[in-house]
Amino acid sequence: MTEPRVIELSEWDSKQRLSGLPTPREVLTTTVEEAIDACEDLGGRVVCKASGVAHKSELGLVRIGLDAAGVRSSWEELAAAGDGTVLCAELVSGELELIVGGLRDPHFGPVVSIGIGGVATEVFGDVAVVLAPPEPGELDDALATLRGSTLLRGHRGSPPVDVAALEQVVMAVSNLLDTDPSVVEVDCNPVLISGGQPLVLDALVVRAAP
Amino acid sequence: MTAQASLDPLFKPASVAVYGASTRDRAKLGNTLLRNALQSDTAEVFAVSPSAGRAEGLTTVVSLRHPVDLALISVPGPAVEAAINDAAAAGARCAVVLTSGFGETGDEGRAAERRIVDRAARSGMRVQGPNCMGVVSHLGGDRWLNGSYFWNVALRPGPISLLSQSGAFGGMFFSELAARGLGLKRFASLGNAADLDETAMLEWLAGDDETGVVALFAEAISGGRRFVDVVRRITSERPVVVLKSGRSVAGTRAAASHTGSIAGGHGAVSAALRRAGAIETSNSDEFFDVLTAVSSHQPALTGSRVAVVTVSGGPSVLAADEAERLGLSLPAMADGTVERLRAVVPAFAATGNPVDLTPQCAADAYSPAVSAVFDDPAIDGVIAINCGLDLEPFGKAVAEASTRTAKPTVGFVTDAPTVATILADSGIPLFSSPERAARGLASLTAGSRL
Repeated sequence: MTEPRVIELSEWDSKQRLSGLPTPREVLTTTVEEAIDACEDLGGRVVCKASGVAHKSELGLVRIGLDAAGVRSSWEELAAAGDGTVLCAELVSGELELIVGGLRDPHFGPVVSIGIGGVATEVFGDVAVVLAPPEPGELDDALATLRGSTLLRGHRGSPPVDVAALEQVVMAVSNLLDTDPSVVEVDCNPVLISGGQPLVLDALVVRAAP
Repeated sequence: MTAQASLDPLFKPASVAVYGASTRDRAKLGNTLLRNALQSDTAEVFAVSPSAGRAEGLTTVVSLRHPVDLALISVPGPAVEAAINDAAAAGARCAVVLTSGFGETGDEGRAAERRIVDRAARSGMRVQGPNCMGVVSHLGGDRWLNGSYFWNVALRPGPISLLSQSGAFGGMFFSELAARGLGLKRFASLGNAADLDETAMLEWLAGDDETGVVALFAEAISGGRRFVDVVRRITSERPVVVLKSGRSVAGTRAAASHTGSIAGGHGAVSAALRRAGAIETSNSDEFFDVLTAVSSHQPALTGSRVAVVTVSGGPSVLAADEAERLGLSLPAMADGTVERLRAVVPAFAATGNPVDLTPQCAADAYSPAVSAVFDDPAIDGVIAINCGLDLEPFGKAVAEASTRTAKPTVGFVTDAPTVATILADSGIPLFSSPERAARGLASLTAGSRL
């Protein structure tokens, strides 16, 4: 069986399709001047990412904590490496990283998974899966099965994860799978937990090629 | 015709025809099948064979002349289609094709399988198999249907109905039932499930009031959301225990996303089983332990607070460790309980939790001491442990207090045959290690997941 051809949407397009997703404030910039303005609006230090490139972290195309001068010196390179635009995002920090993803199981249809570890999820393998859309209480039950569920309840002084807000991320993924049959996989990765609130730092929507 | 009505002839047949009965060689499976069918308590058994003659004392016929409830087909592969045609033409209502060499062998086998199902469907006949070990069913009292290849199966009636996608696992199941003294209601080996798959069988079991516990061994679950709905219907009334093999193949395909590689395969099955309220087990030890627990007549564990009561210190701590790992808690005994214990047990006995009465306890002290633990209002369930010293008064005390308080109770007993017998006779399920006893108790939680 050959793997069906797929289209990977850019981070910006992916986030646009996932309605109601909590993200850091961010701007898709088309010129270096726009990016410098955005940097000032977003607090003076930003994350700049090449757009429309898969595995951008691994390729060194995510620059964290740039000031205006840094934006000016990096923008052209990042734009050229991707689709000509650069995504500028507010610099945020948090206490925990998760991953929320969706896919279509060949037998059970759309499912949403929640894993502990964000980009390191594959190492920990601590993932809970729910059928989409989840029924009331089902997400709580699934989260309780995680080995790292203690981390979600607030660990060493950090506030507990706002499960209702996390459910919004889960529902955004679930709704997209429900309303767009061409979507085969979704990654919100990492989902940064900052003061108990989830923020989706990066997202990927994969569609079947027509 | 509803699935409910349509499988009565499979599990409760009044008449059976055996195709492939001609062999006189007792080493052959077809002969085992015929002998099993003849020893069954169905009103009529016909043996169908291409050459008229006698087999196992029965006059064989070349073609079935009467409608039967159930046709058991064990002829060589090339003759299966003719047998199906003969049975369907005679008006058989269900057929089990035990013969192998169909869909599991490739395209040609799959096509033959398709033709069998189509031919049967034209006559409204349902088909179990092909490539399976057959069907076993308790018909009431001491009456059984054995339409299987299994020889020398000790049949003891009970609440468990197993559907197995693997025939060999069926053999393992019968041997575990015998070893654990568990009772059977129905067994069906699904084979290639060309017509009747696990979902269709579960639909019938959902309406089978004689089944108390549904067990499923699956290599793949194909019914999707319909499977979830059917299992959910069953779990609203009785437990469904599932062992799904092949959990490790997840993520073998190249996935574009991280999600594809971490959540593919088994994750969806677990999610489906959780929504359906089934108890998912992760290996065969756990599967049979949970079946042992849920098929006992112990009440459900309605809270998470348990006590370990013992005369054997070390093993009781192992049980406590495992109970905590499974999300149960072991609270300290209430002050009133400690007072009642202190009044009767030796000064060096442990009145925390585990409660270790010690073997030095006076014979007449076990009953008040064990009662105190069971009566503690903060305790929802009890694990009783007795290793080595066969302390009959301890066994009697546990059995009496468990029955009186109706608190779910499990046991681990080793080298104490009198105690083991007393507990087993009062319906307390026993396990082969302290940890497994803890798991057994945890599985009595409503909607439990291990």
